[in-house]
Amino acid sequence: MEELNLEELIAQIKDSDDKVRAAAWLSAGKYGAVAVKPLASVMTDEDVEIARAAKRALWVIVRWVGRPGAEDDKRAVEAALCGLLGSDEPDAVRCEVLWMLSEIGGDEAVAAVREIPGILYDKRLREDARCAVQRIPGDAALETLQGGFDAAPEDFRPAIAESLRDRGVEVDGYPSQKLVPTKKTDVQPVSQ
Amino acid sequence: MNERHQLRRRDFLATSGAVLSAPYVLPSGVLAAPGKKGPNERINVGHIGMGGRARGLYGELGGLRGKGECQSIAVCDVDEKRLENAAKLVPGATPYRDYRYILQRKDIDAVVIGTPDHWHGVQFAQAADCGKHIYCEKPACCTIEESKAMVAAAQRTGIASQIGSQGRSQREAYLMHRYLANEVVGKVDYVECFHYTSPVDTSGTPDGEPPADLDWDLWLGPLRWRSYNRKYLHGVFRWLLESGGGQIRDRGAHVMSCAMYWMGADGTGPVSIEATGTSPTRGLWDSAVEMKVTYTFKNPDWVMTWEQMPMDEVSRRYPVEERTKEENRQGFGRISRPGYGAVYHGDQGTCMHWGGDGGTWAERKVRQWAPPADTKEVYQSPGHMEDWFVGIRTGRKCIMDIEWGAGVANLCVLGNLSFILKRKLQWDPVKQEIVGDDEAHRMMSRPQRYPYHL
Repeated sequence: MEELNLEELIAQIKDSDDKVRAAAWLSAGKYGAVAVKPLASVMTDEDVEIARAAKRALWVIVRWVGRPGAEDDKRAVEAALCGLLGSDEPDAVRCEVLWMLSEIGGDEAVAAVREIPGILYDKRLREDARCAVQRIPGDAALETLQGGFDAAPEDFRPAIAESLRDRGVEVDGYPSQKLVPTKKTDVQPVSQ
Repeated sequence: MNERHQLRRRDFLATSGAVLSAPYVLPSGVLAAPGKKGPNERINVGHIGMGGRARGLYGELGGLRGKGECQSIAVCDVDEKRLENAAKLVPGATPYRDYRYILQRKDIDAVVIGTPDHWHGVQFAQAADCGKHIYCEKPACCTIEESKAMVAAAQRTGIASQIGSQGRSQREAYLMHRYLANEVVGKVDYVECFHYTSPVDTSGTPDGEPPADLDWDLWLGPLRWRSYNRKYLHGVFRWLLESGGGQIRDRGAHVMSCAMYWMGADGTGPVSIEATGTSPTRGLWDSAVEMKVTYTFKNPDWVMTWEQMPMDEVSRRYPVEERTKEENRQGFGRISRPGYGAVYHGDQGTCMHWGGDGGTWAERKVRQWAPPADTKEVYQSPGHMEDWFVGIRTGRKCIMDIEWGAGVANLCVLGNLSFILKRKLQWDPVKQEIVGDDEAHRMMSRPQRYPYHL
């Protein structure tokens, strides 16, 4: 498709024709960091297909800047994504951004997650945040998990304990619950 | 190349001193050695997942049940309607919503896992750690990390495992295998797999509340939380990259399974993977519609391609063989799935098959080939479930042991990763790692939602 400026890209993401939208989101990679916030604002559009196009455009950017040799582009997009973790953004955007950061984020992303106010008590957000930090390599991520484990409310500690184990840390207490059945059925057996 | 059917589990256990070492504390009594059933003892089976394909798997155990080799004593599904139907289908079986009740039962020797793909890795690894022999529907897993965990769990516990790429066990698959192993078309250096496209969701279905009968939390399991949308399930989970992966992971796990087996390439892997394709322009499903993936293998050097194309192009490029009534009488039935298969290119000719799963059809010249006296014989499976039971009773490695199943699933996963990332990937088949690409390397695993994790 012909080169569009950012405004034209966003307009095409909002187009009523799915083929126009798709051409736009598939080409979004090269727009990089400057397109992150404008696209995020479309991610909660009331038209589910437009919102989806914006989300896919953001993912295309993440995968484009994650390519080998694009460190500067990646760090710029990481910074832009970190700017979307604040409580002024909808949870749907914040959760999606956490998973994007899990793929390309580094220490800056880890710091941004750590600084989300009340993150350890936010039941909607904290599990995605835990998964994201677990996936990000490096000491900062590990230290954040350890700090989170110490500070977390009791109901969230077992989950962080699993992240720490995944990163090779021995955790006393909080034995794995993964094999403990919890969900009962009302269905009865049928006799032979 | 690997030596198939050579490594006996008890040999592995003897040489490895395979002492179960749990990395952390698990509930008491859930870790167990696999059942040591005598040749005439009946095997107790639990069924994890009782939806469409899983009910088919229950049916495929019918022959063994009829001979008194096994009995199904537990059924599980996260959908209460399906579970109710399963309880009626399997009288006397205990119904469960949560599969972990089945894993805790010490009287259950084996499990059949027929859940959506995103559950396979977790349920397989946990079932192995609980000492259950496992039949698991294909594809084996959704991430490279899962594949490694599954293989490790099976090896350290010595259970018999069979991944449901049952094409390997079909009669005409045996004929293809024998034909290729005897190099009737010479040395094969190119395997050309074909399939029709993945579907597009044009429904515009919005998110909503899950039905009362469905445990949405348990259906999602390891996947990140999201609102319910009926276009995630049932059956259609396979058109999403996270839970299914599209045709390449659905049927690729069949067609490429045959290729890896017949090429003697189980236990090996490509050194590079490069995918191109088209994405759906709308809808919830995100798997590639059309797609071409090129896998390059080294030492020996060969190439495999996986290509999805419109059905009319499949028909034009791979016209289906019409079979005569006489052939039908000989048990070579009509090719009812002409939309997928593979062409094998050797230096002295080509041969092809259609299907590759429960239906596998070899072309006429393969079927009519008269083996000479010095024919190199290949293994003929007694049936995919039956082969699994041989594995359970003797310790012999199954025809689609998890080690091979994981290797095939990795091909599917890597093809999708290259498609998603829009770049060529370099793969170390020995370490089983993506090299030189940090983001792709991270995507070898996907953190799983607590407590539904490896």
